[in-house]
Amino acid sequence: MSTLRQSIRHALANPALQAALDANAERRRAARERARASLPQPWETMRRRAAEVRADVLAHWDEVFDRFVANARRNGFHVHLAADAAEARRIVLDLVASRGKGPRLVVKSKSMVTEEIGLNAALEAAGHRVIETDLGEFIVQLRHERPAHIITPAVHLRRQEVAETFHARLGMPYTEDVEAMTATARRHLREAFLQADVGISGANFGIAETGGICIVTNEGNGRMVTTLPRLHIAVMGAERLVRTPAELALMLELLPRSATGQDLTVYTTLIHGPRREGETDGPQERHLVIVDNGRRRMAQTPLADGLRCIRCGACLNACPVFQEIGGHAYLGRGGKPTPYPGPIGIVISPGLFGFEDYGNLPYLCTLCGACAEACPVEVPLPDLILQARRLSTEAAPKEESAPPPLPRPLRAFLGLYARVATKPALFRLAQQAIRPLARLTAPLSPIPFLRGVKATPRQSQTANRQSPIANRPSQPAPRNPQLATHHPPTASSRPLTASRQSFTSALTALGGEVVPVPDMVSAGEAIVAFLQREGLKRVWAWDEAHLPPEVVAALDATGIAHPVAAFPPEDETDIPKAGLTGALAGIAATGSLVVPAGAGRPQTASLLPEIHLAVLRAADIVPDLQAALTLPAVRQASMTSIITGPSRTADIEMTLTIGVHGPRRVVVFLAP
Amino acid sequence: MPTTVNLFPTCLAGTFRESIVIAAEAALRRAGAEVVRPQGLTCCGQPAFNAGDWENARRMAEHTLRVLEGYEGPVVMPAGSCAAMLRQHYAELFAEDPAWLPRARALAGRTYEFSEFLVDVLGATDLGVDFPHRVTYHPSCHLLRALGVDRQPRALIAALHGAEFVELPHAEECCGFGGVFSAEFPEIAAAMLERKVANIAATGAEYCITADPSCLLHIQGGLNRAGVPTRMIHIAEVLAVNSAQ
Repeated sequence: MSTLRQSIRHALANPALQAALDANAERRRAARERARASLPQPWETMRRRAAEVRADVLAHWDEVFDRFVANARRNGFHVHLAADAAEARRIVLDLVASRGKGPRLVVKSKSMVTEEIGLNAALEAAGHRVIETDLGEFIVQLRHERPAHIITPAVHLRRQEVAETFHARLGMPYTEDVEAMTATARRHLREAFLQADVGISGANFGIAETGGICIVTNEGNGRMVTTLPRLHIAVMGAERLVRTPAELALMLELLPRSATGQDLTVYTTLIHGPRREGETDGPQERHLVIVDNGRRRMAQTPLADGLRCIRCGACLNACPVFQEIGGHAYLGRGGKPTPYPGPIGIVISPGLFGFEDYGNLPYLCTLCGACAEACPVEVPLPDLILQARRLSTEAAPKEESAPPPLPRPLRAFLGLYARVATKPALFRLAQQAIRPLARLTAPLSPIPFLRGVKATPRQSQTANRQSPIANRPSQPAPRNPQLATHHPPTASSRPLTASRQSFTSALTALGGEVVPVPDMVSAGEAIVAFLQREGLKRVWAWDEAHLPPEVVAALDATGIAHPVAAFPPEDETDIPKAGLTGALAGIAATGSLVVPAGAGRPQTASLLPEIHLAVLRAADIVPDLQAALTLPAVRQASMTSIITGPSRTADIEMTLTIGVHGPRRVVVFLAP
Repeated sequence: MPTTVNLFPTCLAGTFRESIVIAAEAALRRAGAEVVRPQGLTCCGQPAFNAGDWENARRMAEHTLRVLEGYEGPVVMPAGSCAAMLRQHYAELFAEDPAWLPRARALAGRTYEFSEFLVDVLGATDLGVDFPHRVTYHPSCHLLRALGVDRQPRALIAALHGAEFVELPHAEECCGFGGVFSAEFPEIAAAMLERKVANIAATGAEYCITADPSCLLHIQGGLNRAGVPTRMIHIAEVLAVNSAQ
């Protein structure tokens, strides 16, 4: 087992890892800056509000928590409270076993809390087959690795390494073509989705007022896992709560922008309970496992503000230490791994799991503060890191045998230094003694700081009250001495055009297609023309009661079958290439479709086919996410998908690939 | 009546680069201030504080408070991270100590970083300094992000006569020093430093100006090793150069 020091050396000596980490830092920072500029209000204003919302929830945690649990139960969730990792594992194992004798097939969408509780190992030990379905998680699972980042698990890999893994483990001919690799993962995982007994997901937020959970994903695997298997288990950290849909909207303005630089993830899924009477898809049972695992204990410590974290990963991307060593290097004492690396990780790993094992991690930081600047909920990370170091020092056993949080010589130096520094005369003597010594040893020092000492001018050169510069020959003055002016990116003023134009440009920018039609008769004609061009004679659809009659008439007149989508289907060949739905609303700011579930409105129509056709009325376009999330129909539906463009991933070398598990084309027929 | 300023040399500058202290004193005088060097100042306690050793940090902070309470008026430090220590972290150190907390707060209220004091308090931006060199600027992390001081050193640099300024690529990135960090994880510190050195080299500047002695020494070590001719220089050292006329 390697130690922290070994893992650091290993990381620094790995050129592929270094290249991957540099590319990640560069791209993520640029993407975040762009996304900040598109915020509806200034970044500092919005993150202040978001910080207040999260702080307020934690200040009234019991009340908000109880309200959430009561409302979730009222919605039909089975809610389980797990005090620690072992209890959480046992609850999930019992639920999976309840699906029948023998090994079960479990599909998982990305969840850090399931990493935290070691769920996969426990399920596999019990004989079940677990498949991670997020592309990045899928890759690291194939490689028997841990995720290297909380939102981009395969951030440490170059495409060549992924290609080798796919070749060796999936039998795919070696190719470095990211699209081909993604397509292989899609085929491989599609089978798993269709056959799985159980779907396990995380939850980004619980909403106390509505008793619902929100899950954000891009690839569509999150929707698959929460829609297709008959049993869905969501595992969430006990602190991941907001009170209202409006508060959720604020979090969702900041989370994807901070995480991947997107204005909104492709799929924002709201779940308010299991399949209801008359619905033809969705799980019959939904369970919610709420994990404490040290959270309430941490709330009583000076690290409490770390619980505000919404797991966007921005601090990891901003951290210069993370950029050098990557997520796998963050090892606790005795080489103990943690699921949470980076600035937030070095606070919450000891905060949640104890200083005995993780008290060494808070020292992996230069206190540069770049993390705090990147955080969308103002977690005061440098302050918490300083507090964690203090707690680590105070928690350290005094016996000589125990490993101290700092190397012993450094600790001894600090003690001695404090003694000397409180006696000015002694301090002056020490200063005089140290100067020549430092100069002498400087060139040999492994510490650059001491090498810098060597180059400093001697006192004699400066005793004449002149700067060392005075001894250097001066050069002719350049023509125009001036400071380079810096123009911060300004938020583009929102165009005062109609909401339909905003919707159209936002969706088009994401690779979606908008077909404007003057009325519903024309919408029907345009849809038929589209299907005929594609050579399709059958679509999976919403029930005709929920589609415009003109559209239904056009389909019927041309002999295009439009059965109501249902899951499970007979087999995958039964799933047509196109699905046709309506939409409750559109969102002007993001180009999103708001698609609630209900009897006659199957979710799978917008999920399983390769092409999603949707009919939207311009009158139903709302301005922003908050307006959409507060629509009463959203909280009333068992499930609502907010769909923002075609499914996508950038998990392999951050190369954008359109069309993963969800549709690769989203075509909106926009009527007045 | 001229402002009387208490100059806190800080331990690193005082020990390893006294020219910064001498230059800071000269520059403050040039800007019209009276400069006092309080007797008995040593180290503010930041190394112990950053290491999590609050017990020793408190001892040093108490010593510093006792010394400075003997001197009225503003305290000026030619080091961003040390100024942040007095201004922000002393109050945390004594958060549960009703005897020391008000004393810590009182000191925090009259503590300034050097460039901030010159520009914001003395209103002295152009000291008439002739500096005909190509220069760049490394904003140290504590100065930039903890104290929010960026405009002031940049204004001082912009006012230099004859200087050609080149923006440092990725200027706001940490140089990797981090106090105890570079002693505990020298390999990571060196990797971060390499990045900083390459960015400085890319500017082709003769001088890289900064306002923190710790970063200055760390980066100079990196420049030496890499054989980059750019010299690190403290903003105070620049401002103490003979004036333009």
